[in-house]
Amino acid sequence: MKRQFKQTIWVFVTLISHYRRHPGQALTMALGLISGVALWAAVQLINDHARSSYAEADQLLGAEARYWIRSDNGLGVAVADYIGLRRAGFEQLYPVIETQVRDAQGRSVAIIATDLLALPVGNGIGSSARYSNPFGASSWLALIQADYQAWYPQSLASQLGIEPGQQLVLASGERLPPALIQTQTQQGQRVFMDIAAAMAILGTDTFSYLGVGRLSKLEHLRLAALLPATLKLVTNHQALDLAQVTESLHTHLTALGLLSFAVGLFIVFNAVRFSLLARQGTLTTLREMGISLGMLSIAIIAESLLWTLFGTSLGLVMGYALSQLLLPAMAMSLQSLYAAELGSLIGIQPEQVLLAFGLSLTGVVLALTLPLWLRARESIRRQRDTAAQWQQDQRGIRWLALVAMGLLGLAAVLYPWMASIEQGFLMLALLMFGGALLLPWLVLGLIKTCARLLPKHQWLLRWAVSDALAQLPHLRIALMALLLTLTANIGVTTLVGSFRTALGDWLETRLAADIYVQSESLDIEAIKQAAWLSGYSPRIGLDLRWQNRPTSIRGLDLTAPDTVDMVLVQDHGVLDHGGQNQQAQDQALQAWRAGDSPVIPILANEQVQYLAHTPLGSIIELPTPAGPRRFKIVGYVHDYGNSSLAFYLPGETVMAHWPAAELLGAGLWLSEPAAQIDPDWLSSRLSALGVKPGQWVLQGEIKRISFAIFDRTFAITATLNTLTLLVAGLSLLTALLAVHQQRLPEYAHWRSMGVNFSQWLQIAALPLLLMLAVTLLLALPLGFSLSWLLINKLNVIAFGWTMPLLWSWWPLAKLGILTLGIVLTTLTVSVVRVRQTLPTAIKQLAGDSG
Amino acid sequence: MGGLHAHSFLKIVLFLGLALPLQSLASEAYQLLRGDPAGYAAVVPGKALKFPEDHLPHPDYRIEWWYLTANLIDASGAHYDVHWTLFRQSMSPLADPGGWSSNQVWMAHAALSTPEGHVYQQQFARGGIGQAGVESTTSNKVPANPESTTATDSPNQFQAWLDNGMLKGQGSAPLPGQLSFTVEGFEVSLNLDVVTPWVLQGDAGYSRKSSLGQASYYYSQPHITITGQVTRNQHTTNLTGQGWLDREWSSQPLAPNQPGWDWLSVHLDDGHALMVYRLRQDDGEDWISGSWITPEGQATSLNKIDIVFEPIRHTTLKTGANSHHKLPLHWRVALPGLGRSWTVAPRSEDHWLNTAFPYWEGPVTLDGTTTGQGFLELTGYPESQ
Repeated sequence: MKRQFKQTIWVFVTLISHYRRHPGQALTMALGLISGVALWAAVQLINDHARSSYAEADQLLGAEARYWIRSDNGLGVAVADYIGLRRAGFEQLYPVIETQVRDAQGRSVAIIATDLLALPVGNGIGSSARYSNPFGASSWLALIQADYQAWYPQSLASQLGIEPGQQLVLASGERLPPALIQTQTQQGQRVFMDIAAAMAILGTDTFSYLGVGRLSKLEHLRLAALLPATLKLVTNHQALDLAQVTESLHTHLTALGLLSFAVGLFIVFNAVRFSLLARQGTLTTLREMGISLGMLSIAIIAESLLWTLFGTSLGLVMGYALSQLLLPAMAMSLQSLYAAELGSLIGIQPEQVLLAFGLSLTGVVLALTLPLWLRARESIRRQRDTAAQWQQDQRGIRWLALVAMGLLGLAAVLYPWMASIEQGFLMLALLMFGGALLLPWLVLGLIKTCARLLPKHQWLLRWAVSDALAQLPHLRIALMALLLTLTANIGVTTLVGSFRTALGDWLETRLAADIYVQSESLDIEAIKQAAWLSGYSPRIGLDLRWQNRPTSIRGLDLTAPDTVDMVLVQDHGVLDHGGQNQQAQDQALQAWRAGDSPVIPILANEQVQYLAHTPLGSIIELPTPAGPRRFKIVGYVHDYGNSSLAFYLPGETVMAHWPAAELLGAGLWLSEPAAQIDPDWLSSRLSALGVKPGQWVLQGEIKRISFAIFDRTFAITATLNTLTLLVAGLSLLTALLAVHQQRLPEYAHWRSMGVNFSQWLQIAALPLLLMLAVTLLLALPLGFSLSWLLINKLNVIAFGWTMPLLWSWWPLAKLGILTLGIVLTTLTVSVVRVRQTLPTAIKQLAGDSG
Repeated sequence: MGGLHAHSFLKIVLFLGLALPLQSLASEAYQLLRGDPAGYAAVVPGKALKFPEDHLPHPDYRIEWWYLTANLIDASGAHYDVHWTLFRQSMSPLADPGGWSSNQVWMAHAALSTPEGHVYQQQFARGGIGQAGVESTTSNKVPANPESTTATDSPNQFQAWLDNGMLKGQGSAPLPGQLSFTVEGFEVSLNLDVVTPWVLQGDAGYSRKSSLGQASYYYSQPHITITGQVTRNQHTTNLTGQGWLDREWSSQPLAPNQPGWDWLSVHLDDGHALMVYRLRQDDGEDWISGSWITPEGQATSLNKIDIVFEPIRHTTLKTGANSHHKLPLHWRVALPGLGRSWTVAPRSEDHWLNTAFPYWEGPVTLDGTTTGQGFLELTGYPESQ
């Protein structure tokens, strides 16, 4: 037994001693595993972190908010009402001011403030009270006394360029309290301060709302009965809603993470291929020495576990670092898109470590253990037969092609049933991997055709083409990885480009007014009489729940310029997108304006159609104070970036059905072009209308902010894409280095036969360029299909909005040039390496024949 | 330091943020009570206390409290014990700007022992916004809570409150009056009656705490007759018994060498009341003081030489998931000059308050020359290793 153990150890050491002789291969394996695990882990960590943040969305600094008390009239909650409720025994209430302000540079800054003393946090009950108190370990006396403190999370401070002690100047001229770089649970990307400081700075004497913790049934009844008429108790659905609306985004990210992992695995495959070739001899010799297959298997398993452990641990470390880098951008995006607050600190859970280990073990088994074991099992005779292996390789490529056809066929069959985002990603995976597996067969076909068609006197070209046959087995995995990343890049680039254009066009029509005002103290009569204004469009509305989703009802002024020019969703000519042609649109809008049909016509955002699955012409029921009312959906409008459902009615209809609807703000049109207006003059004019600084924003500013949010949102995608492309480039480089290293004796032969360097370069480079051309050409249709699926299917399922697909060549050309650059760099590196090592090889050749 | 309930102020200090390892928490938290009193009003001998003015807050002193303990029984004789306190702290010696900028912080502790066990709660509030305070209201001033308006409101009515916990006097003094509060689902409502005068502790209300000059203003009402009720889940239990109210304010009540104290207040069955306390000093020379009060409310101040106040044995209590404290729950108390001596035992050991600053406070029984009952308070004991 002991002898056997010793022998196994010896076999294991013999097997892995290979990496000492070929550190490059060990490095490549490590690189593939680590980068794959790291990219996957980064995405996974961010996703899990975001999800756990949503679960805490009904909390503030550790205090629960199962309900909110909000005012009906938009005037906020009065201090006296709050104190009255506290003194009536509702200690689970706490005041909150939550708002967005604009700083002097026009940047939007989120503020959250509460009264820490009143916050119902661990009221001294239970052993953990001391520790559950978020303020127990930090000095916050300074926070609640003048000059107060403003707590910034590190990422927000960096973004705003705020140093500790500095005071952010607001557009209103007020200054936030001195900065402290410090973050609390559920603070997110918001500036936290004492509510007394916030009230002074914002010039308000009311709270945005009261947070309400746990209520018993009796307390609920008593509280509801005790509330002044202007206040209402509403259930906080935030955690549930956030999880729901952000699900698609996280599925997107998970898919990207898995793609990165797959590309990492390709590199491992690649490395194993070469380590197999090099270790073929060792395996055969070991078998010839009488080492049993069982013992060899144990050694192989040990090696795999070692790799897995190594890859997982380093991958997780790198992934964690990467997630920290990506988190601030991600947090800002989630805040602006969904008002979701992400904490600044990511933690690693044991489950995530296990999952990473499982994933990389699966990868290693697929990429290393299985091929190694299969090779070890082969009969000793066959292992010495290289001709048989070459035949096997050609057969392998045909098999791959068959599998590819199978995958693509399956995709075609499944397509009509695609309804969920997961199914959508399955479709993408089938398409991409089908394409990738088809690639070697296409390259092989092209090589064979070229070989047949090339005239006999073009001996160098013919040599190069036939040499491609020799290079293909070594490069095909790297090419497949490259194809995958190129396809993903083209698909996502097209998606982002199309979306950006659609967003721009939409903002152009939607944001028709020069100034947008958000103020409850707006003086409508004064606006009507202001000579410097040529028009205005008040927005009234309210928020309710419909189909268990947050839903807003908006009332529009029929005479306002942007309502007159309203555009419904156009028919893009693809799928059943429910778009209407011009005539149908005109009729629908006319009916909507008249509103005198038996069932009142209503407009909805596209999200109603796709997320709530309500087709054009549906009769829907909306809750009103007088009971449910029926409406008929006569048209849809684009509403990019909105995660809520929205319905639009003429303002009078809204007031008739929902008397509690409040004035939310207004769009204002200037008599003179906005560019010629002095901001100070404008500010003073608006003040006269009851609009304070920070409550209004210029149209151009909204566009700028929208695009900033958009670009930030897709920055992660772009980063992951670029990283994956680099990883694929690395895979190609290692493959090239290995193939040339292996063929050095062959090159030495050629050299001694009189082939000069430039001829050799053509023979070595032309096949590569040929293969690259096929890869790029195949990436185009695959990328187009991918973007088509992303835009017309996944995007609609996930976010509920549609847009036309814009195929733009310029970004693709850039991608092509980048790829060519990467390939030429790898080629150069490998050629330089050959030039360096060739003399030694020639000497060896001379030695061998001598 | 009668009503040495000042310990609870330590909770504020802690709550207000000392970033210190737990081991040093207790000693550091006391720092507030030993802190430099510069800028705050000083406690000096010879000042005559004035009522009703001195029932109200003294914001120029750093800390202050209104502290009530009560031993009650229901119709079957089962014990119910209550303590309710309201603390005030000035966060700076500057004049209080009031409103949202107020430099006053309030804290309330409410605890109730029932035959089923011990529940407690601590709450904080900032001053200046009406959530907490002590004031004398007039009838034309609308109380913040409309429910509290009753026909018995008189032109000058004492009120001390934080949220819905309130001690309301029938007139401008806290007593006679009513105490009402909720704690963990129990609604407590007590009528507090008195016939004896206020007892000025120490030297006419000037109570020394150390040979180094630390002191407080301190007066008490030891003979409160109580009737009332506790309600939970719509089930009401009627209660009767006796209570004790302490009033104290200071700017620096603890000397630098005093890590904590033991305090005892009792009602004896012959109608007398007794209060003794021991400020433990690092040098072993503990500061011991107290008062002996007749049934008519006539008090005699007691000094160290008049009092024996010593632990009989220590008990190790589990005071948290991973923490234990070794506490002197059994005592011997004697007044040799009056020929009286007793042993003191806790009614139940389970009276640890695991609040921001943890301490033991609970009902005790006396046996000896006479029998009696009261409250024992133990603070500043380190966690056992």
